[in-house]
Amino acid sequence: MTVTTTGAQVNGRRYDVIIVGSGWAGSLLGRQLGRQGWRVLVLEAGNPGTETWPGYQDSLDTFNVAPIKVPNAGYRPNRAAPFPDVLDLHAVPGGYTSTGHFVQTGPLPYGTDYIRALGGAAMHWLGAVPRMLPEDYATRSLYRYGRDWPLTAEQLEPYLQQAERLIGTAGNGAEQHELGVVPERDYQYPMEEIPASYQDGVFHRKLTGKEITDPVAQLPYTPKVYTLPQGRNSTPNPLFDDGRGYRPVGAVGLPNFGERCVGNASCTPICPVQAKSSPLRLQQDFTDSVHVATRCVVSRVLPGRGSSVRGVEFREYSDPAAPVGTPYTAEADIVVLAAHAIENAVILLSSELANSSGYVGRHLMDHPTFLAWSRMPQAEPIGAFRGPGHTSGLECFRFGSGRKRRAPFRIEIGNWGWGWATGAPFSSVGSMVGLGGDAEGEVKADGLFGPGLRRRLGDELNRQVQLQIAVEQPADPANRVTIDPQRYRDGLGNPKPILHYDLDTRVRDGVYAARRVAAEIFRALGAEDFTDYRVRGDIPPLGHFRHRPEGQTEELDLGFHGAGHGAGTHIMGAQRATSVVDSYQRTHDHPNLFAVGCGSMPSIGTSNPTLTMAALALRSAEEIHRELTSLHHPVTAARQPVLEAAQ
Amino acid sequence: MITATALSQGKYRPPAGLKELRDFLQAALEVEHFTVPVYMSGMYSIRPGANRFSYDTIRSVLMEEMLHLTLAANLLNAVGGTPDVARPGFVAGYPARLPFSSRSLPEIPLQNFSPAALDTFLLIERPRALVPPAGGEAEDDEGWTSIGQFYDAIRKGLIALEREQREQHRRDPAAPATLFTGDPRRQVGPTDFYNSGGEAFPVTDLKSALLAVEVISDQGEGVADTIWDSDDIFFGEQRQVAHYFRFKEIRVGRRYGAHDLPRTGPSGPLLDVVWDEAYRIDPRAKVAHYPEGSQVRAQAEFFNRTYAHLLALLQLAFTGDPWVMRQAVPVMLELRDLSQRLYRNPHPDRARAAQGIHASPTFELTEQHFVQARADAAAKAAASPTPEEQHP
Repeated sequence: MTVTTTGAQVNGRRYDVIIVGSGWAGSLLGRQLGRQGWRVLVLEAGNPGTETWPGYQDSLDTFNVAPIKVPNAGYRPNRAAPFPDVLDLHAVPGGYTSTGHFVQTGPLPYGTDYIRALGGAAMHWLGAVPRMLPEDYATRSLYRYGRDWPLTAEQLEPYLQQAERLIGTAGNGAEQHELGVVPERDYQYPMEEIPASYQDGVFHRKLTGKEITDPVAQLPYTPKVYTLPQGRNSTPNPLFDDGRGYRPVGAVGLPNFGERCVGNASCTPICPVQAKSSPLRLQQDFTDSVHVATRCVVSRVLPGRGSSVRGVEFREYSDPAAPVGTPYTAEADIVVLAAHAIENAVILLSSELANSSGYVGRHLMDHPTFLAWSRMPQAEPIGAFRGPGHTSGLECFRFGSGRKRRAPFRIEIGNWGWGWATGAPFSSVGSMVGLGGDAEGEVKADGLFGPGLRRRLGDELNRQVQLQIAVEQPADPANRVTIDPQRYRDGLGNPKPILHYDLDTRVRDGVYAARRVAAEIFRALGAEDFTDYRVRGDIPPLGHFRHRPEGQTEELDLGFHGAGHGAGTHIMGAQRATSVVDSYQRTHDHPNLFAVGCGSMPSIGTSNPTLTMAALALRSAEEIHRELTSLHHPVTAARQPVLEAAQ
Repeated sequence: MITATALSQGKYRPPAGLKELRDFLQAALEVEHFTVPVYMSGMYSIRPGANRFSYDTIRSVLMEEMLHLTLAANLLNAVGGTPDVARPGFVAGYPARLPFSSRSLPEIPLQNFSPAALDTFLLIERPRALVPPAGGEAEDDEGWTSIGQFYDAIRKGLIALEREQREQHRRDPAAPATLFTGDPRRQVGPTDFYNSGGEAFPVTDLKSALLAVEVISDQGEGVADTIWDSDDIFFGEQRQVAHYFRFKEIRVGRRYGAHDLPRTGPSGPLLDVVWDEAYRIDPRAKVAHYPEGSQVRAQAEFFNRTYAHLLALLQLAFTGDPWVMRQAVPVMLELRDLSQRLYRNPHPDRARAAQGIHASPTFELTEQHFVQARADAAAKAAASPTPEEQHP
């Protein structure tokens, strides 16, 4: 059971730890530290509600009636704790404009969103938990770009395994070992992998043994289909945990309802049967020493004596539609910011803390995601719009010496047709019905209705193939989050994030390569390529750019979308002058202030970052526990025994 | 319902020998399955989107009945018996007599979601403690009074027969050492079946057998004069009120509070139940009532064929291929869709339609259905990979 409290009740009180944010990182820390007996206060800016069954149903209803299904379609806007939505971005002649929570000043739009609500951005995550490659941790040493981690994959291994268990992961250990990301050949996941989709099988049949050339890397690749490890309920693996097995965690808020994945195709933004894992599962098991207060927006970390911090200042609101809050403070021995890479940066910048390096807010990263879409021939359907967003990927382009020439990328085999690329199936209905009229402004004569429309939809939707290609973006200090409290504030008076974002040449080369590789893959499938980023009239698609890598002859219209993977804004490193936090995510400047989350990651490779972030959080939890233990160590009057004589 | 009906007509007694134990356990399969069409009718006749709490509650009970069915099959297999679920005699012809219960009880029909249906559900799940004392000349003091009593008889039988078997083994080492000689590979476990309320576990000895019987009883009636089941003790899950009390909540329109007792009724928060938001059906609906050549008739027949297909898959799962259970789950979801298709349509008969009666599934299964179903199920099982093939 979660012990809930309010701002008024905790005002002025002292805790062992204050955690700002109740997403994956915050909830893992809350769970671990609570179990060790520490008094923890979790302050969540957003609304509660989804942890009850009616609240969850309400999110589901909100999603069902939303006219446009974007990741935040299930979650209501919150004027007191606003968060970005992909619909805030609009393509205009010459580029884009941005409304809503972000102020954007860069040449290219930052298309990633998150949620401020109980559970954080994890409420709308897909549930993908692949691991980073060992080489992803050392791109500067190996490939002379980006930043090295002050950690190796091997050092993170026990925490990755613990994270997989706590999130509840379904995967194929033998495959992941072959890929080179898990140590043992007979590695066991808690649950068997989510079954590969029919389309995955088609890719497997048509691509096995085929060589695909990446013209930018100038290397041949032999793609192979690997299933994706997912944080989603599946068949429990009786061999997990040395044969002790695993019991899938059910739904939060309704006992004994939890289901295994049954193929609803709406994971982002919401799983109707709660097969998808979320931090709410961890929260319902918090020990009683963990108190959770929602609708409490932290505005500042309060400085203490010397270089330490003493607590936080926050505002509690009661009505998310009215940005009116009451200010309170709470104190703690340790303060942990776990509010998302971007919000962490805003808090640190507002507080004017932890920034001796000047790097707070810098190195804003994402996985620019290139979409390529095509259609299989008639009589070769692949059964789109069934199952999780993607169940398998083509991994070979993530590795190796090609990274010297262009950014690496991971190809997700999308199961949801052209949904992301064109808005299918709704857009398909629109175009078949003839919405929008013809050039003369008349109703289109060849619009379909009734059984004819159903047949055509059934035929076409079933053949839609979409590849989502996540390109690695390295840490670039020019991509950054800043604030300007004089000019841009939200309803509660907190500064809005100002983003400056661009893709460097290496990333653009990677996107170009992804486009060319996708075209070849579609040819191998026999599918008709519909990928199209050309400018229409004078309005370019969002994220559009034209590019021609050195050595290539053809300039192409390209584009990208945000993947939802904000990172880098309080970057990790061994040196205080060139990083914000150390490998335990403790800020260099303040011994009792931690900034956890993807914001710490020096590089994000080509994999969804949640699992790595969770492993880092668990490692930080251990360090925080050690720190608190030493703070509470009893002082004795006895003299130390003299050991030197024995040596 | 053949076996259960036959046993019900006899006197109350625990099973006396191995053969009789197996008959009792086959009857248990029939008893657990008996409720499935009844609860399905109550659940799927709710207008989609309405009465969500009631829908989820009936669904949770239905899922637990499927668990009980599975545990009963595990019990029967464990004592060397063979479940037999894919034949006409397995499915009751509704309205049907509740087995192992007083003759004075009315027959159980297939009803749409309504106060009357909930009253029927309460009758089925009634804990022993709440059964009114036998009265009147018509009552047979030696007859069965409740399903709980039936499971108690099985429990007694298991203990006695296991003790006998062990003694026999002591006297004659050539005799089996235990009652539980069934092939362990026939046991359906949690990798094969997931219902989220409790867990399907293998039955391999007296201890697990008694646990299985206790789970079946406790989830239905509640633990020892309380309103709670024992999911927290057995499975480390959050405990819920037992089936009877879940239905009581819907019937009364009120949740139970943490300290309520079986006899006090619910005293917790009010519950929103809108009885009008349900399709009204004819409890005596038969396929023959729907005009030949009509779409409703075709769907009603298709439903019965699909139901037979489900039972045929369960038969394979219960007789040596537990992994076939995974094939059964999509069929269950298909039955949901087929049900709702029927309920949405007004009854083809004008007179009944004028009364607001809608079409409904009839659960009439003949041998012809099963002949086709067995062949289809075998083909489906043969075409799907076994666990070894999937993970070599």
